[in-house]
Amino acid sequence: MKNKEILLYAQETLLKAGAQKTKCSLTKKEKNELNVASGEISLFRTTFDTNMSLTAIVDDKKGTISLNKLDKENIDATAKQIIDMAISSKSDEANDIAEMQPAKEFHKEPIKPDLDKMYDRLVEFMDFAKKEHPKTIIEEINFDFTSTESYFVNSNGVDYKTTKGIYSFVVMFTSKDGKKTSSFNYAAHVSKSLDTPFSKCGNIDKLLGESSEQLDTKHIHEKFVGDVIITPECLDSFVGSLTNYLYDYSLITNTSVFKDKLGKQIASTSFNLHSKPVSSDIAASYYITGDGYEAQDSTVIEDGILNTFLLGLYGAKKTGKDRAVNQGGCWEIASGDTALEEIIKSTKKGIVLKRFSGGNPSDNGDFSGVAKNSYYVEDGEIQFPITETMVSGNLVEMMMNIKQISEERINSGYHNYPWIKFDGLTVSGK
Amino acid sequence: MINIDLKKFEEYFTEYTELRMQENRNIRLTMVNGDMMGNNRSSNSGISARVYKDGSWGFASNADTSDDAIIKVIRSATENANFLSTRENLEKAELPKTNAIDSKDFSTAKPRKSQKEMIDFLNIMDTHIIKEFPKLSSRTIVISNLDMEKKLFTSDGAESYSMTPRTILYVVMTVMNDDQPFELYEVYGGLGQFEDTFDKPEVLFPKLKEQYEHLINKSEGVYAEAGMHDCIMDADLAGILAHEAIGHTTEGDIVKGGSVAGDYLGAKVASDLVTLVDFAHTALDEQCPVPVYVDDEGTKAEDAIIIEDGVLKKFMHNKETALHFDHEVTGNARAYGFYDEPLVRMRNTAILPGKSKLEDMIASIDNGYYLMKSSNGEADSTSEFMFGVVMGYEIKNGKLGKAIKDTTISGVAFDMLKTITMISDDMAWSCGGMCGKKQGIPVGMGGPAIKCKVNIGGK
Repeated sequence: MKNKEILLYAQETLLKAGAQKTKCSLTKKEKNELNVASGEISLFRTTFDTNMSLTAIVDDKKGTISLNKLDKENIDATAKQIIDMAISSKSDEANDIAEMQPAKEFHKEPIKPDLDKMYDRLVEFMDFAKKEHPKTIIEEINFDFTSTESYFVNSNGVDYKTTKGIYSFVVMFTSKDGKKTSSFNYAAHVSKSLDTPFSKCGNIDKLLGESSEQLDTKHIHEKFVGDVIITPECLDSFVGSLTNYLYDYSLITNTSVFKDKLGKQIASTSFNLHSKPVSSDIAASYYITGDGYEAQDSTVIEDGILNTFLLGLYGAKKTGKDRAVNQGGCWEIASGDTALEEIIKSTKKGIVLKRFSGGNPSDNGDFSGVAKNSYYVEDGEIQFPITETMVSGNLVEMMMNIKQISEERINSGYHNYPWIKFDGLTVSGK
Repeated sequence: MINIDLKKFEEYFTEYTELRMQENRNIRLTMVNGDMMGNNRSSNSGISARVYKDGSWGFASNADTSDDAIIKVIRSATENANFLSTRENLEKAELPKTNAIDSKDFSTAKPRKSQKEMIDFLNIMDTHIIKEFPKLSSRTIVISNLDMEKKLFTSDGAESYSMTPRTILYVVMTVMNDDQPFELYEVYGGLGQFEDTFDKPEVLFPKLKEQYEHLINKSEGVYAEAGMHDCIMDADLAGILAHEAIGHTTEGDIVKGGSVAGDYLGAKVASDLVTLVDFAHTALDEQCPVPVYVDDEGTKAEDAIIIEDGVLKKFMHNKETALHFDHEVTGNARAYGFYDEPLVRMRNTAILPGKSKLEDMIASIDNGYYLMKSSNGEADSTSEFMFGVVMGYEIKNGKLGKAIKDTTISGVAFDMLKTITMISDDMAWSCGGMCGKKQGIPVGMGGPAIKCKVNIGGK
């Protein structure tokens, strides 16, 4: 049997075994990966896997098994086990599957990697780093091309197929000079092609250069409340914490700080957050949600107003709120109207936060953590890289205190973010 | 059980080769406010080969474990090694030869529990929580089991089999105070399948009560005062300190990549009181949470005494980093899935107990904090660390005071370790850790309580 036939056989077997509703997906994945370790191209890795996830609902009770042994005998046994699991569970009317939608195929090139070009681009990057940034050690690079062929069907007749491939490049680096060691930093970039050298992707060259500057850091010997300019590379951890409040778990458990904020102001009016899973703007796109709906782009926060939660089918039914048209991610924050240079110039006292090593924010949004690879700013100028400096604040309050958003943005292929200056965060040195 | 004979594929080895068959089986049951939000199992199995040629590695894997597929995987890994070695010409020396032979199976000998019996266990826990802790606004209970079964054969002649299960119970409690949610989670369990780890739910009831009482205290707690303070870091934090802040900086590949620890070998990096070990499988005559007898390169796993009486003594190695530094291999090469290559990973990293009593340690502080539980942690190549702290108390005049709200602590580990003045005479393991380093992998972290100076990020 071929992949689609295997999946349909598994669905049929589940229905025969007693499932009233089914949700089944199969993903065939091939990954070709080149690794750099401690400055050497050290590993070439090829992996194949085909994984199937089968869900059955019986009397509003649900069970799910995922497996990668896809012979008939194993599928038959697994189907029986899933039914047993479902029957053993608890009835919950929120357990459901996506309604019928027209069958559709999604296809995004490339499907096959150009291995020679992958190797050449990697060598080119290593040579560039060695020449331009001699004090910086390329600690690790994971550079891969992953192609996926995936199918999604359910017993309501949903039938989707997706084929796509993508290049992913993640580099981690540290600088060393005698006994001086910098903080590590990293950069990530995903793309559909290898047209651009990695040294010219996003902010990678600048980050490598800053790494060696960070061999000589200084303490800020004071505590102050001031401006924090968060860079595109660093912004994602804050977007992740912010949007966590919008998903199923936070809303079902009623712990989300935004639970009563739909249609209300949760950020400064200059802030617009889009999720763009199907747009060509973001390379790491997806077409189908985990529930089996065709994904659509959405504006989650518009002019500071919360437009939508990010509820899946279960969360929507459980809370009585609307299901989101996507599952978030592929984030884009609209650019502002101030040049980055002007943002720095207008900063009396603050820091540029380039990487944040923080504890998970509390349910109420309080957070604190260490400013890594970051710089002190005073009187409109970047002064020096800092060490042992903590930043603390409250995420909810912080979103209402956006002072400026840059015209410039960095598109990493995962997301597209500008620089944002927040007011009122506490910066404390040693 | 994996019962295929991997040795029969030896004829297809042309270079140094590791052939590993592995199956990871998971159970995850999630009950949120009494509803079964997740009722899942998974099984992921396959074969991998890793080949070393002149300093370059080739790796290939496939879920198909037929003889033909295994031969294809070996050939593909060999071709990948050739692809790199002809281009890179690293011309490195041969790897250290190791050929450990061992078999360890931690499967339960008891009759296996059904999914229904595990769900019944959750129901009993949930009913107890509702009855005994009425102030809670939300509760989540999760059973998470991972059975990791591996079989390895290498061209050096190493042969090993292991079945290492881990079962964890997460309990998350939330309470509202002044319209603000406060949450505290706890992790129970460790090595073993469900049947060996959670016999009767009643055994956990006293621990749930403690968790609830701490949460109520936290919801009425105060913000910690930002700045440097005398602190007692309890076992949970001492364990994460050992793992994140010291352990990672002393992994051979991280040292090779520029970690500050590379400059400190043989140097005094901590108070004389501190001895820190990455245990392979047995610590202080007890089985560790994540026992490793033979690593995924076929090396016999040995304890790595990283810091002894305050002096940095050793790094953790796989074959390649041991070769690079001309050190002994330590058996720290571990892979998470069949599709993963082994990396230098910790196993069970702990600071050893001292001679002090916790109550005396608390009594010795006039103004500071007793930090009990961490959420997450990160460390840097400089050994600067950050840990989230989700449970702690003020110490005022030698006595515990009010609970504190969530905060973070930070410092430079190789500076902070020198500020340790007391270490308690007991220790505890935290068994729920998943270490992230390209691949996530279960690890054990442990320690006693330590008295030190640390920077707190309060308001």
